Amino acid sequence: MPLLLRMMLKEEYRMHVTYSSRTIFTALPLFICLVSFVVGISMPNLQRSVAIGELLSLTHVGIFLYGLSVGAFGFLGRTYVERRYGKNNFLIATPTILPLSFRSTFLGMFLRDLIFYISLVLLPAFLGLVLAAPIAHFSIISIILVFLALLLSFLFGISLSFAVSIVYTRSVKAFTFIVLAFIGLVIGYGAFGFYGLELILPPLGFQFGVPPVSAVGFSAPAFIIASVSEIAVFVLVAASLVKESYEGTASRFQETLPRYFHGFRFARSYQPLLAKEFVDIVRSGTLGKMTFSFVAPLVFLSFTTWYVNNGLAIPVGFNTVFYAGMVGFFGVLLYSWLTNLDLMDYYETVPVTVPKVIKAKLLAFFLVSIWISTSFVLAIAWINGETRLLWLALPVLYITAIYMVLATAYLTGLSPSSFLFNPEILVKFAAISILPDLGLTILSFSIDSAPLYAIAGILLVCGVLVACAFLFYRGIEEKWGSAGFP
Amino acid sequence: MRAIVVENLTKEYDGLRALDSVSFEVIEGIFLGCFGPNGAGKSTLLRILTGQIPASSGRAEVLGLECRTKAMEIKKAVGIVPEVESPPSYLTAREFLYFVGKVRKVDDLEKKVDRWLGFFDLADFGGTLCKDLSKGMRQKIMLSAAFIHDPRLLFLDEPFINLDPVYQRKVREYLLELRDEGRTVFMCSHILEIAQRLCEEVIILNRGKVAAKESISSLQARGEDLETLFLRLVGGNDAAPP
Repeated sequence: MPLLLRMMLKEEYRMHVTYSSRTIFTALPLFICLVSFVVGISMPNLQRSVAIGELLSLTHVGIFLYGLSVGAFGFLGRTYVERRYGKNNFLIATPTILPLSFRSTFLGMFLRDLIFYISLVLLPAFLGLVLAAPIAHFSIISIILVFLALLLSFLFGISLSFAVSIVYTRSVKAFTFIVLAFIGLVIGYGAFGFYGLELILPPLGFQFGVPPVSAVGFSAPAFIIASVSEIAVFVLVAASLVKESYEGTASRFQETLPRYFHGFRFARSYQPLLAKEFVDIVRSGTLGKMTFSFVAPLVFLSFTTWYVNNGLAIPVGFNTVFYAGMVGFFGVLLYSWLTNLDLMDYYETVPVTVPKVIKAKLLAFFLVSIWISTSFVLAIAWINGETRLLWLALPVLYITAIYMVLATAYLTGLSPSSFLFNPEILVKFAAISILPDLGLTILSFSIDSAPLYAIAGILLVCGVLVACAFLFYRGIEEKWGSAGFP
Repeated sequence: MRAIVVENLTKEYDGLRALDSVSFEVIEGIFLGCFGPNGAGKSTLLRILTGQIPASSGRAEVLGLECRTKAMEIKKAVGIVPEVESPPSYLTAREFLYFVGKVRKVDDLEKKVDRWLGFFDLADFGGTLCKDLSKGMRQKIMLSAAFIHDPRLLFLDEPFINLDPVYQRKVREYLLELRDEGRTVFMCSHILEIAQRLCEEVIILNRGKVAAKESISSLQARGEDLETLFLRLVGGNDAAPP
C-alpha cells in the first residue's frame, strides 16, 4: 500500500500539473492561505453580527458537503476502470493485470485524495487562521480545535460519500434507501427540530463542546469517539463492498440517435454533436446524477436561507429574484458533468474542433438545465407568494445561467474540474462569479424597500452580464480554437 | 501437467452469449494460439482465465488454480498483456516497470527494468510519462511489464499490435526462446502469419464456440496453413465493399 499510495500521489500531482504548471499548482495552497488569513482578520467584525457557534455550524455544514462532493470514489473509480482502454489510464485499473485487488486501489484513491485535499486546502486554511491569530486575537488552542473539528467534518463527508457511492455500484435500491434516510434525518432536524444538527454531523457536537464555542465539556470526547467510529465504519463498509471484477456490459438499446438528430434540427451544424450528447446523458445515467448534483446545492441554499431567517433570526429579505440569481450561478455544476460523459479522444479523428464540441455541450446544458432551474424558481415564487416578481426573476435566472456557463467554458474549455485546480483560473473564476453574484444579491434584498433603484440596478447588472457572455462566447473560438481534445 | 483446463465454460453479458460451453486443455510448455473473428469471445476467454471476470457457468483452471476463486494467485503467477490497454498515463515508463516489479516482488529489479527498457530500446524514454509515449512504445512497456517477472505462463492479447516490424521480429524471437524453454503461452491474435510460426497448437473460436483445436504439425501434415483453416471454419466474406 505505501508504494501504491506514493505512486498514486505522483500520478495525481502530475495530472494536475499538466493543466497548469508546477509553480501555479503549488500556488493554490498559498492562495487558500491568503483567503483564510483575510477571513481570519475579518472575524472580529463578523462576530458582532453572528455568534461564533452559528458561524462554525455553517462552516461545518459547508466542509461536510465539500467532503461529500469530492468523495464519490465509487463512481469515479468505476469510470476510470471502465475507461482504461482510452488514451489515459490510471493506477486504479492495474488490478486487471497485476496481483493487486481493486479494494487496495480504491482505498489508495481514497487515501490519496484525503492527503491531497488536507494538504492543499485544509492545512493552508489552518495556517491562514494561525497567521491571523495575533491580529484577530484568536487563541492558538481554539484554532487547533476548530481545525480538528473541521477535519473530522471533512472526513465524515468524504468517507460517507465513499461508502454511499460504493453501495450504488452494488445496489441502486440500497443507495436510494440510504439517500432517502439521510434526507429524512435532515428533515427531522430542519423541519421538526426533533434533534440537534450534531446528531447528523457528530464533529459539530465536538466543536460545540470545546473552545472557542464553549469550555471543554463532557460531551466533546463522546462526540469525537462517535465521529471517528462512524468515519471508520463508512470506510470499512466502502472497502468491503468494492467490486473485484469490472465486467462491463453488452447492453442493447433501441437506436435513439436518429430521433434526437431529427429533433434537434434547430441546432444546424451542431445537430449530430447535440444528438450524441443527449444519447450519452441518457444512457450513462448522468441525467439522474446531474439532477441530484444540481438540486442538492439548491436544497442546501434553501436550508441556509431558512436557517438565517429562522434559526439565527436575522431578517434578511431573501426573495425569488435572489434565488433566481443563485440558481443561475449553480448551473456551472451541470456543465462540469457534461464534460465528463465520455472519452473525447475520438473527436481527433473527425472534422470537429474543441470550440464546436464546447458549444454543443453548452446547448445540451441549456436544454437540460432550463427545466430544473425554471421549476425551482417557479416553486420558490409560489411558496413565498412572490409570483409578481417572476417577470424579473426568470430573466435573471436565464442571464446568470448563460453568463456563468459561458464564463466557465471560456476559462476551462472541456476540463472544468481539472482547470479549477489552477489558482490563476480559480482567481479569475472567483472574480467573474462572485462580483456579479454579490451585486445581484445585494440589489435583490432592496426590491421591497427601494424597488425602482433595485430593479434598475438588477437590469443594469443583467445588461453587463449579457455583454460579457457575448464576449466569452466569441472568446471560446479564439482561446480553444487550436487546442487538442483532453 | 495441464497449464489450462477449461470445461463447459459459458459467459453471458446481459443475455448475449459471449462464450458457449467452451472446453479445451493446454499442456504446460505449449504455445497455444487462440484465433477467431471479431466478437468470437477470445478476449472474454482471456479475461476469465486471468481472473478479471467470472464465468457465468463451467470450470476454468490455470496452473491448477480455479479462476473464479484464485484470481489473485493466478495474477501472481502469470504475465498478462491485455488488448489495447495502456500503462498508467502519469507514471514514467521506468516508474511503471518499477511499480510492477515491486508489486510482483521481483528480485534484482533495477537490473531487470534496465534490461527490458534496453530490450525495447526505450532507455532514453525511461523518464517520459507513459501518456506521452507513442502507441507502439506503450505496447512495449506493457510487454515489458508482462515479461519482467519471468512468468511460467503468459497470456498475450494481440501482443504485436502497434509494434514496428523490427520489434515484431524481436518479440517473436523472444517468444520462441520461451517456447523452447518450455514456458506456456496463450496468445490471441489476428496476425496469422506470425502465429503460424510461433504456435504449436491452435484453437479457433467462432460465435463463442470452439470451432477447432489442433496442432500446427497436423495442419501442415495435411498441407493446410492457419489462414486456410481459419477461412474455411469461420467463412470468408466475399461481398464487395460498400
